[in-house]
Amino acid sequence: MTRVGIIAVVVAAVAAIAAPFFLKPFGIFLISTWVVLTIAAIGLNLTLGYAGQISLAQGAFVGIGAYTVALLTPLGVPFFAAFFAAGLLCFAIGWVLGYPALRVQHHYLAFVTLAFTTLVFLVLRNEEWLTNGIYGITGTQRPILFGWKTNGARDFYFLCLGVLGLLSLATWWMLRSPWGRAFVALRENPIRALSLGLDTRLYTLMAFAIGSSLGGLSGALYAPLVQFIEPNSFALGLSFNLLLMVIVGGSGNFFGPFVGALVAVLLPEWLRVTQSYYLIIYAAAIMVMMAFCPSGLLGLAERASRALDGRRAVTKTSVPTEGAGP
Amino acid sequence: MASFIQLLVSGLATGAIYALIAVGFTLLWQTSQTINFAQGEFVMLPAFFVLAAMNAGAPFWLAALIGIALSIVILGILFKVIIVDPMLKYGVLPLVISTIALSLFLKESAKDFYSSQAQPFPALVPPTDIHIFDAVVSTQSLLVLAIAILTVIALHILLNKTRIGRQMQATAQNPTLARILGIPVQRMVLYTFLLNAVLVAIASILVSPIYLAKFTNGETLGMAAFIAAIIGGFNEVRGAILGGVILGVLDNLSAAYISSQYRGAFPLIILIAVILFRPQGLLGRIEERTV
Amino acid sequence: MTAVLEVSNLRKTFGGITAVDGVSFDVRAGEILGIIGPNGSGKSTLFNCVLGQLQPSAGDVRIDGKLTTGVRPCDLNRLGVSRTFQLLQVFPQLSVRDNLILAGQEHQGSMASRLFGRADAGLGDTATQMIEFFRLSHLAGEQAGSLSYGQQKLLDAAMAFMAGPRLVLLDEPAGGVNLTMLGHLRERLQAYHAERKATFVVIEHQMEFVMALCTRVLVLAEGRIIAEGAPQDIRRNPVVIKAYLGH
Repeated sequence: MTRVGIIAVVVAAVAAIAAPFFLKPFGIFLISTWVVLTIAAIGLNLTLGYAGQISLAQGAFVGIGAYTVALLTPLGVPFFAAFFAAGLLCFAIGWVLGYPALRVQHHYLAFVTLAFTTLVFLVLRNEEWLTNGIYGITGTQRPILFGWKTNGARDFYFLCLGVLGLLSLATWWMLRSPWGRAFVALRENPIRALSLGLDTRLYTLMAFAIGSSLGGLSGALYAPLVQFIEPNSFALGLSFNLLLMVIVGGSGNFFGPFVGALVAVLLPEWLRVTQSYYLIIYAAAIMVMMAFCPSGLLGLAERASRALDGRRAVTKTSVPTEGAGP
Repeated sequence: MASFIQLLVSGLATGAIYALIAVGFTLLWQTSQTINFAQGEFVMLPAFFVLAAMNAGAPFWLAALIGIALSIVILGILFKVIIVDPMLKYGVLPLVISTIALSLFLKESAKDFYSSQAQPFPALVPPTDIHIFDAVVSTQSLLVLAIAILTVIALHILLNKTRIGRQMQATAQNPTLARILGIPVQRMVLYTFLLNAVLVAIASILVSPIYLAKFTNGETLGMAAFIAAIIGGFNEVRGAILGGVILGVLDNLSAAYISSQYRGAFPLIILIAVILFRPQGLLGRIEERTV
Repeated sequence: MTAVLEVSNLRKTFGGITAVDGVSFDVRAGEILGIIGPNGSGKSTLFNCVLGQLQPSAGDVRIDGKLTTGVRPCDLNRLGVSRTFQLLQVFPQLSVRDNLILAGQEHQGSMASRLFGRADAGLGDTATQMIEFFRLSHLAGEQAGSLSYGQQKLLDAAMAFMAGPRLVLLDEPAGGVNLTMLGHLRERLQAYHAERKATFVVIEHQMEFVMALCTRVLVLAEGRIIAEGAPQDIRRNPVVIKAYLGH
């Protein structure tokens, strides 16, 4: 990472820790939402930016995680047990979903995840005996961690921030390991990777399953954050939103999800004047961005900082493009 | 038995419409590696063109033609030139993402610039019924079926019996070889886009009297197109037709016999079943892993 | 002595075209077999069928006596078979060193050990040795994409050797490489071959390269083997000359 990059990260971390002391409750709610959505975006970034697969089900996984926690904690299950259960459940579902879909080419996973999201929505809406249907579930409790009550807005924010920090660390560790190298190979040149003994199917499946489990973990925090969940929150719209977050931030870039989630959370606030048009503007911006800088905002920043540094560099296409083949 | 015939006929009618949408989708994929995630919205939109033209005073037949023309320009030419061509150099994935964004863009545009309310759409014939055996079948269904079948036949003639059609097929199967043979590949690709625009416009006019013109139509219709294409075998035009018809019939039958709450789930389950047990679809070939 | 590689009656058709038409040959342990032939003779298709990249229409491939027709390339690689590519296939964003580690890491331990173990999968020293062997030490930390064409070709070969394969298939290793680098490449290939007693199969167009490197040569034309023998005999063989000139 460049020096500018390191400074930027440090500044951002300090800002993230200091922010809640300067914000009103709604502001704290916004940045808490940012933290929680970033976790889901990190997961989707693994699937899309590293393994090169489109998942339109990340929103559904967030929903599954949210409902898992919302249903288990009132039964007396400790929060973090439900938290891990949410992650594990989504990992398993991701594996089962991905296994057949990834046997084929043609981006079948995109369609399977699209269908899955709709199915999940239907189940959440129809099975009222379990999920309370369209009436939703209210009042999910915020956890008590070793005596520290996280009910307050600021306290819960720090809890979420802490979880984000740990998960980011874990993801960073994974990406530094041979798995990370394998993911880059997967994205840059899957054919070559295959010939080197790299089981591309297995690594892709793993990335998708881990990405999905991160979605579940995000949902597990989402339920106590908003304290009212209903099926519509986790329909296709959220999956689209998460996808756009990852793209805007810079897919395949470690910090892309952080930036993308920030934009997605703040944009509706900024565009409040053009309230209902914000989705149109967002979508149009994505199309323009894909045409001119598919590597997202951070890709732009990287290019700018390299230009400032005056260093030559190999052109990076962070959105996985088909490997240059014979 | 009577209700079965009714369901069958309306299922075939729906299936024929799905087939048109799926064929366009498959053609785009075949000729230019374009996975058009916005295909559903492409079917949703022309109905609004027609309604807008009618609001401006045009009679229905004229408005329909205007709708088709606008579709050709916007969903055919502009789509290709502004979105697909600039993106192709980055590969399939960025293009798919662009079409996902496009679907969102079109859906929200229809909602904001026309209406978020479902709009009634003129039927092609006054609502009358015909009695076949004991079944009551609407003339609307029969007409839709007839038009869709005619379109499919016309498509078949175009692709297989005309020179341009055969050139388009050659381009779809092997662009490099086609270029060597002197086929103007770029122009053939453009024709595919125009053809898709016509197909979605026709589908739109046929489906909107039943579904009403809603900005959310794209979701279900798009999903139907994808599923039909996958059932048939992603890279087979005949497969798309077969997949569309099968999907339409099964969907209609299931609506009668499965709870309405899970109405939309049936096609999705078919999709998952196909992916699990026969991923190459009914007519597709198992793809080679190419070097 | 079983052959390292046995190809029996291999056929591959694409639509109406028969690219490989009933090819059979054995590769003995320790030899360097060259496969030559005019353009379109089916050499690359043959390779891709042997390596699991394409499913043959008919025929078998056996590695050390085990049937491997249609086995996935990654599984084949773990059986000790490796390849280089005609068009460059290094990982441009990774450093030279990382390229090499990547090339060997899937042979070290399990998925779990690769996640929780060392970042270099224990291959740091091996990678350094390989870098020195191919005389790329001054470029070890550079991004592979910034290397010259010839240097990337060397890296490509180095990557194929990282897992210590017994059988290496090289697809036009000399293509596009300048004369000085060519000599260096050939010399390094021979050195590796001598040191590790590996078996090579080489597709090549450049006659001088083939003559200097290979111990035996097969000639392919229109999907069939038309001649076989020692390099110096092949270049005088009238059938072979006709096949090349006739095209």
